[in-house]
Amino acid sequence: MSFNVERGETFGLLGPNGAGKTTTIKMLITLLLPTSGSASVLGLDVVTDVREVRRRIGYVFGGDRGLYDRLSGLDNLRYFAELYGVEPREQRRRIGALLELVGMTGREGERVEGYSRGMRQRLHIARGLLHDPDVVFLDEPSIGIDPVGARELRATIASLKDQGKTVLLTTHYMFEADELSDRIAVIRAGEIVAEGTPAELKRRVAIGRVLEVETYGVPEPVVSALAELSAVRSVAVEERDQFQVLVLQCDADSDVTQEVLARLSGVRVGRVGVREPTLEDAYVQLVTA
Amino acid sequence: MTNTRIFFVGGLMSFRAQFNWLNPWILVPALLVSPVAQILLFAYVGRAAGVGDDQFFLVGNALNYAAIPCMFAMTFAISGERWGQTLGLVLVTPARRLPLFLGRALPVIVTGWCVAVFGLAVGSLLLGVRMGATVWPGLVLAVCVTSLSCTGLGLVMGAACLRVRDGATLGNVVFLLLLVFCGTNVALEDLPSWMAAVGERLPLTHGIEAARQLASGATLGSVSDLLVRELAIGLGYAALGLATLGWMERDSRRRATLERM
Repeated sequence: MSFNVERGETFGLLGPNGAGKTTTIKMLITLLLPTSGSASVLGLDVVTDVREVRRRIGYVFGGDRGLYDRLSGLDNLRYFAELYGVEPREQRRRIGALLELVGMTGREGERVEGYSRGMRQRLHIARGLLHDPDVVFLDEPSIGIDPVGARELRATIASLKDQGKTVLLTTHYMFEADELSDRIAVIRAGEIVAEGTPAELKRRVAIGRVLEVETYGVPEPVVSALAELSAVRSVAVEERDQFQVLVLQCDADSDVTQEVLARLSGVRVGRVGVREPTLEDAYVQLVTA
Repeated sequence: MTNTRIFFVGGLMSFRAQFNWLNPWILVPALLVSPVAQILLFAYVGRAAGVGDDQFFLVGNALNYAAIPCMFAMTFAISGERWGQTLGLVLVTPARRLPLFLGRALPVIVTGWCVAVFGLAVGSLLLGVRMGATVWPGLVLAVCVTSLSCTGLGLVMGAACLRVRDGATLGNVVFLLLLVFCGTNVALEDLPSWMAAVGERLPLTHGIEAARQLASGATLGSVSDLLVRELAIGLGYAALGLATLGWMERDSRRRATLERM
């Protein structure tokens, strides 16, 4: 794969599990060596200019781990500030500003083991910014965070752009990528299958319209029959608690609602709706094509 | 300045972060009660069997127990990063590896020293072993050198635990080997020659011998050769540990083994 990220840009890297997103990031942050080809960050080679690359990048990943639970949030930040060579006087100022940025002022003295997942994630962000890096790598930063926490986290990530940081973001949440990314690359099995702005990606796949039908116990043969309709490009079944949502991607100028409902006769149907394609629709089509 | 701070400040913080036993409920029984119990056990076995004397077992077992924090705390200080998934974050910093990992050894050496000196002090009181005030400074120095050399071995074990799954089991086995091969309870000259030869190459052996001679009234000058050999062995193990860590870091970049459990 080959891609460029401009300075000050937020670049989204999307793809299914195992596509190579984290591997790509780990190569760029010098944790892994590329088996072939080359990669550079800020013009510095990730194989030969290792220390200089490390000095100028920040790395944040999602999940519960990656922090010292027995230390306070403040000590976690102080430790990494030492490792990045941030001067003691600068440490105090910088840590105070970052705690403010991630909304953790007043909680920094508590042990990390008592932090919620959202707090841990915000602390991760602060840790990744301690040395004021030019480029920040965010690997699924909002994974497992509740909606309110995720919203706050997105606001924090968005503020990085205001500070002029270059951000490379991986996420499985399409609305997050849509909201935060200037450009996106979709990768599948280690190859880029599409690249562009979120709007360009939505247009490029030319899905047309999306018909969503809530059903209760739709049998598989009926789903297959729906896929055979001429204006229907694909049918996906999303399982919810008590029902299934049929997601039919249709030609742009078609109206297949009546035909679909006719084939669903005998199946209990709930809400029916038509909407414009989202980035998620585009993503699903790209990675399943 | 940065390297100095990483060594001292970073080392202490990392020790606090990783050494799970820094809790009174674990620290007191594991590092204060256990060494005294081990000293008493072997001293009374010696009395019952009519071999050795209390001072022999007191010094041997007190110094032997310094190996517990030196090996386990050092192992935790390195391998704990892997379990907590902080290792990648640490390695992706530009911090130089020598102060980064050696800094973790300093609080470990102090802990080992404290455990051994506590064992010596309490054990001598309980067993009624009298050692004059002039003996203690030399003894304390011998304990310090021995703690350092055991920490060198701990550094090797810490590096190994970046690949080996169960560091605690490894630590228990190595501790038993030290107990048997280093003249802790059976003098080296009473061991089979091959065991004595192994003991000569392990940390602890020369430190225990030096401490025993000091406790019996020898001068520091007369045991300096033993202490220098103990120190050299410890530094040798430390160098091996650092080299192993460096190799594992490079290997993990090639083979993606960093967080593989």
